[in-house]
Amino acid sequence: MQWGLNWFICTLRSSIGKKLIMALTGLGFCIFLIAHLAGNLTICAGEDAFNSYSERLHALGPLVILTEIGLLFFAVTHVFIGAYLFYENFRARPEKYLIKKNAGGRTIGSVTMPYTGLFILLFIVLHLVDFHFVEKTDQTIYQIVLETFSNPGYAFFYIVSMIIVAIHVSHGFWSAFQTLGVSNSGYMSLFRVMGIVISLAVGFGFGLLPIYISFIS
Amino acid sequence: MTKAGNKSCINLKLKVWRQKGPDVKGRFETYKARDVSTNMSFLEMLDVVNEEMILSGKDPIAFDHDCREGICGACGTMVNGRAHGPEKGTTLCQLHMRHFSNGDTVIIEPWRSRAFKVVKDLVLDRSVFDKIIQAGGYISVNTGGAPDGNAIPVPQESAEKAMDAAACIGCGACVAACPNASAMLFVGAKVSQFTLLPQGLPEAKKRALAMIGKMDELGFGNCTNETECEKECPKEISIENIARMNREFLKAGLS
Amino acid sequence: MQLDSKIPDGPLSEKWDRHRFELKLVNPANKTKSKIIVVGTGLAGASASATLAELGYEVMTFCIQDSPRRAHSIAAQGGINAAKNYQNDGDSIWRLFYDTIKGGDFRSREANVYRLAQISNNIIDQCVAQGVPFAREYGGQLANRSFGGAQVSRTFYARGQTGQQLLLGAYGSLSRQIAAGKVRLFTRREMLDLVVIDGKARGIIARNLVSGELEKHAADAVVLASGGYGNAFYLSTNAMGSNISAAFASYRKGASFANPCFVQIHPTCIPVHGTYQSKLTLMSESLRNDGRVWVPRSPEDRRPPDQIPETERDYYLEEKYPRFGNLVPRDVASRRAKVQCDMGKGVGDTRLAVYLDLKDAIEKDGRDVIARKYGNLFEMYEKITAQDPYETPMMIYPAVHYTMGGLWVDYNLMSTIPGLFVLGEANFSDHGANRLGASALMQGLADGYFIIPYSIGDYLAKSSHDTAREDHSAFNESSLQVETRIKKLLSIGGKRTVDDFHRELGHILWENCGMTRKEKDLKKAKKLIADLRAEFWENVLVGGTGKGFNQSLEKAGRVADFLQFGELMVMDALERKESCGCHFNEDFQTDEHEALRDDENFCHVSAWEYRGEGSKPKFHKEPLEFENVELTQRSYK
Repeated sequence: MQWGLNWFICTLRSSIGKKLIMALTGLGFCIFLIAHLAGNLTICAGEDAFNSYSERLHALGPLVILTEIGLLFFAVTHVFIGAYLFYENFRARPEKYLIKKNAGGRTIGSVTMPYTGLFILLFIVLHLVDFHFVEKTDQTIYQIVLETFSNPGYAFFYIVSMIIVAIHVSHGFWSAFQTLGVSNSGYMSLFRVMGIVISLAVGFGFGLLPIYISFIS
Repeated sequence: MTKAGNKSCINLKLKVWRQKGPDVKGRFETYKARDVSTNMSFLEMLDVVNEEMILSGKDPIAFDHDCREGICGACGTMVNGRAHGPEKGTTLCQLHMRHFSNGDTVIIEPWRSRAFKVVKDLVLDRSVFDKIIQAGGYISVNTGGAPDGNAIPVPQESAEKAMDAAACIGCGACVAACPNASAMLFVGAKVSQFTLLPQGLPEAKKRALAMIGKMDELGFGNCTNETECEKECPKEISIENIARMNREFLKAGLS
Repeated sequence: MQLDSKIPDGPLSEKWDRHRFELKLVNPANKTKSKIIVVGTGLAGASASATLAELGYEVMTFCIQDSPRRAHSIAAQGGINAAKNYQNDGDSIWRLFYDTIKGGDFRSREANVYRLAQISNNIIDQCVAQGVPFAREYGGQLANRSFGGAQVSRTFYARGQTGQQLLLGAYGSLSRQIAAGKVRLFTRREMLDLVVIDGKARGIIARNLVSGELEKHAADAVVLASGGYGNAFYLSTNAMGSNISAAFASYRKGASFANPCFVQIHPTCIPVHGTYQSKLTLMSESLRNDGRVWVPRSPEDRRPPDQIPETERDYYLEEKYPRFGNLVPRDVASRRAKVQCDMGKGVGDTRLAVYLDLKDAIEKDGRDVIARKYGNLFEMYEKITAQDPYETPMMIYPAVHYTMGGLWVDYNLMSTIPGLFVLGEANFSDHGANRLGASALMQGLADGYFIIPYSIGDYLAKSSHDTAREDHSAFNESSLQVETRIKKLLSIGGKRTVDDFHRELGHILWENCGMTRKEKDLKKAKKLIADLRAEFWENVLVGGTGKGFNQSLEKAGRVADFLQFGELMVMDALERKESCGCHFNEDFQTDEHEALRDDENFCHVSAWEYRGEGSKPKFHKEPLEFENVELTQRSYK
C-alpha cells in the first residue's frame, strides 16, 4: 500500500481503517443517544417541561440542522461500511463449519451486531417518520408522543427496538475502544463495564418511556 | 511396556472431513475408533485409526502434525466445533482422550478460511502466514555488527509482554475460531512483540502498515472484536495485542 | 580417503581469527552468481540461509514442513549458552570451552569447541538485535540461569521457549531475505538424494510432498542442516517428521558418517505409558535446578510418594554426586535412573520412572516463585499425565533427545564430499560423546550465522564457476534411482505398516544400543536389524500412490533409511570398545560404575564411508589431539 498524502484513502481501504471509522461513528451515536435520552427524560418532569425542551432545542436553528446533517453522514457511513465489512467477513469463510461452538468470547451483542444494526436502521427510518417528519402544527410534541405510544402495538415495537439498541451498544461501545487501540487490560475492563452500563441506561431509559407515558403520567 | 495405567478404554464415532485435494469437493465420512485408551493424545487416537485404515486398504486420514508437544504449530483441526478441541490453552497434540466419553461422536474438520486452502483432508496450506511475516514481521538487521546484548536495556515488563506476544505458534486457530476468519491476533501478536522492544521501534510504522496491508490482501476477514481468537489460542495470546496493533496503525497513519 | 580436519595452526585462541583471514573471499559480483541450496530451516538452516542471502548469494531453501518456522529447533526449551560472564561469576570463553570439551568426554575437537565458545557471545548480540525477547532483570539487563551441570550462570533464556524464540528470530531474517528475492523458499519438499558431479555436490533431488513430483535443483554448493537421527529409536523427543534421509542419502553418495553411536538420552522426560505412544515429551532440564530426584529405598515399596517418609527415600544423585547433586550432566543422570529402575526401584505403573520432586523448593520459595519459573512445564505435565506436580512429585524417565553423531565435517563444516556442507545437529562436530544443556542452540546458530558464511566463500572462491544444470545426466540418474525406490516401496503390498516396523526398530535400538550397551547385545541387535530390514522390503504395506500427498509413503522412505542407519549405529557402538559420554558399554566401567574411557586406543572420531549396498562400510579414524586440555576422568562427585 502506498501511504503518504492519500492516507485517508489508504485508511479507508484497510480493514483496520474501516473499523476505525465504524468505531468513531459508533461512538458518535453513543454520544447522541445519551444526549437524546437526557432530553427525552424531561418528559418525566411533565408535559410543559418536555414541550419547552423541544422548543428550546429547535430554537437552536442552524446548529440543529448541522447536527442532523452530521448524524445523517455518520449513519450513512456507519451503515455502508458496516455492510461492506459484513460482506467481506461473509466471504472470508466460503465453506462453513458443520458445527461451530462459542469458545466463550462471543456475547449476544457481538453475535448479532449486523442484524441488530439492520434492525436499528429500519427503526430509525420509522422513528423519524413518526416523530421527526410528522406534521407538528396542530399538536405539541408531547401530544404526538402520547398518541403514538397509546397504540400498544407501536409501544411494544418501540420497547423491543430499544432492547435491540441496547444489545448493539453493549458490544459496540467497548469494541470501539478496542479498535481505537486501548490496549491496557485495566482500561479495557473499565470500558467493558461502561459499555454494559450505557447499554442498560439506553435500554431502560428509552424502553421505559412508553410505559411511563401510558400508565404513570 | 504394559497397558497398565490405562484407567479405561472408550469407543468413539468419528465424523471426519475428507477431501482429496484443493479443488475437489470434500465431505464427511464416519469411522469407528475402538478401544481408545484415555491416556492417548488425540493425534495418537488418529494414528491408531489410520493404522487400521492402511491395513484394510483404505486411504488414511491426512493431518498435519510434527512436534507433538504443542510448540511447532503444525497440528490443529476443529473438534466438535472448537479449534484444537475443548480444552483451554491446548493444542490438538496435547489434547488427551480422557476429555471424551464412551460413545461420543467427534466431528473433525479443518480450519475453514478463504485464505487457508485444503491440501488434503485436514491438511492446510497456511503459507499466507509466512507471507504476512515476509511483509515485515522482523527487525531488519544483517548478521554481524550487532551491539552488545546488554547495550540496550529492555524493561523487564516490556520483555515479558513481548514474550507473551511472541509465544504465538502460527497454528491458525485464531483464524479458525474467528467468526470472520480474521488473522488479527496472529498479526497483532507479531506487531506487538516488536513494538514493545526498543530494537523494533525504528521500523515500527513501516512494519505495521506493511503487515496489515498484506493481511488485507490475502483474503482474511475483518476483526469484529468477538474475542473468540483469544479464547481459542493455544498460547492464550491476549487481544490486547490487537488493540496495540490498532494503535500502531493509527499512529502510523497520522504521523 | 584421508580425513583432513583442516584445523589451522597456531595457538587455540587465535586459530579462528587466523583462519578467517586465510579463507578466500568471493568477489561481491560473483556472489550473486553463486547458487547455494540449504536443506532444512531449523536454527542452523534458517540462520545460514538468511546470512548467505544477506551476503549476496542466491539461496534456495528447502523444508519438509508447511512453513520454515516449524522446524524442530522450535521445541528447545531451556536456553542457549554464551560466555558473556554478565553475572561476574567467573565465566570466560575458556571456561565454556573447557566445560564443553569435558562434558563431551574429550571426544570432540579442541579447535571447533573453542571457536564455538568464542562465537557464543556474538550469537546473543545478534539475537537481541533481532528482537528475541530474552528474559530480563529488573534493571533491563539480560537474565541468566545455570543449566545442565554448569556451575556458572551462562544460559540465556526466553521462558521455557528459548528454541522457539531463537528460531523465530532466524525465521524473521530468512523471511526478510525471501521478501527481498534473495532466498527462494520451497516448503513441503523432502530431499531424497544428493547429486554429485565430478566428485562435487552440485544439487539435490527433492520430492514435492504435495504433488509427489520429483524435482531437480542444481547449485554451486549444498548446505545440509537437516537435524539429527533420534527418531531411529521410534520414541524420542524429536518431532514426528525428524529424519535422517537427507543426511543418509549424502552418506550413500560418499559423505562419511561420524560417531553414529553417540546418542544423547535426556534424563527428564515424561515416561512411556502405552504401546500406542507416538512420541516422548521432554520436561526442561531446568527443573533439576530446584527438583530433587529420588526413588524408594526398597524395591518392594509401592506406597504413593507422599506416604514414603524421608528416611525411606533414596536421593541417589545427591548421595552419589555430592558436589553436583541433581545437576550432573545428562548422560550421568540418565544412566543412574536406569540403574535404579533395573534394581526394581522404579516407580509408577510401568516401574520405569523416577520421581522428580519440587516439594522442598515449593516450601522454601513459595508456590508463586516456582510457578513463575516452571508454571508452563507443570501445566504441560498435567495435560499429559493428569497429575498435578504442585501436589505430587513428577515422574520422569530418560528418553532419546539429541544425536551428537552426524556427517563428518572438517573445520570449515565441509563433509568428505567437496561442496557439501553440514550444519547443526546434522554434523558431528562440537559435542563429542555428550552434549551439555543449552549447547545445541549455540552450535546451530554458530554454524549458520558465523561459520558457514566464511567457509563456504572459501570453497566457492576456489572452485570454478560452471554452475551445474538440471539437465545434467547425474540429475537424471539420481532422480531415476529415487523414483525406482518409491515405486518399490509402493509395490511391496505386504502385511505390516510402516509404523509397525519403525516401532520394532526403535525397540531393538533402545534395548540394545540405548543408555547402556554390551557387546553381546549389540551383536544381537545387528542381526535383528538386518532381519527386520530384509522383512521390511518384503512385507511393508505403504498404501496409496506416489502421486500426491501420501504421508505413509513419506514415512516409509524415512524408516527404510533408519533401518539401514540402525545397523551403522550398532556397528559404530561395537567398534568403540570403551565407554565415553553417552556411549556406555558395560564392559568398560570404573569400579564406581562410571564410564571408563580408553584414551590410548579410542581418542578418535570414527567415520564410516559407504561402500555400496551389502558391503561393510569402511572405517576411518580421525585422531583427536589435545594440546590445551588435559584428559581427565570426568568426575562430578
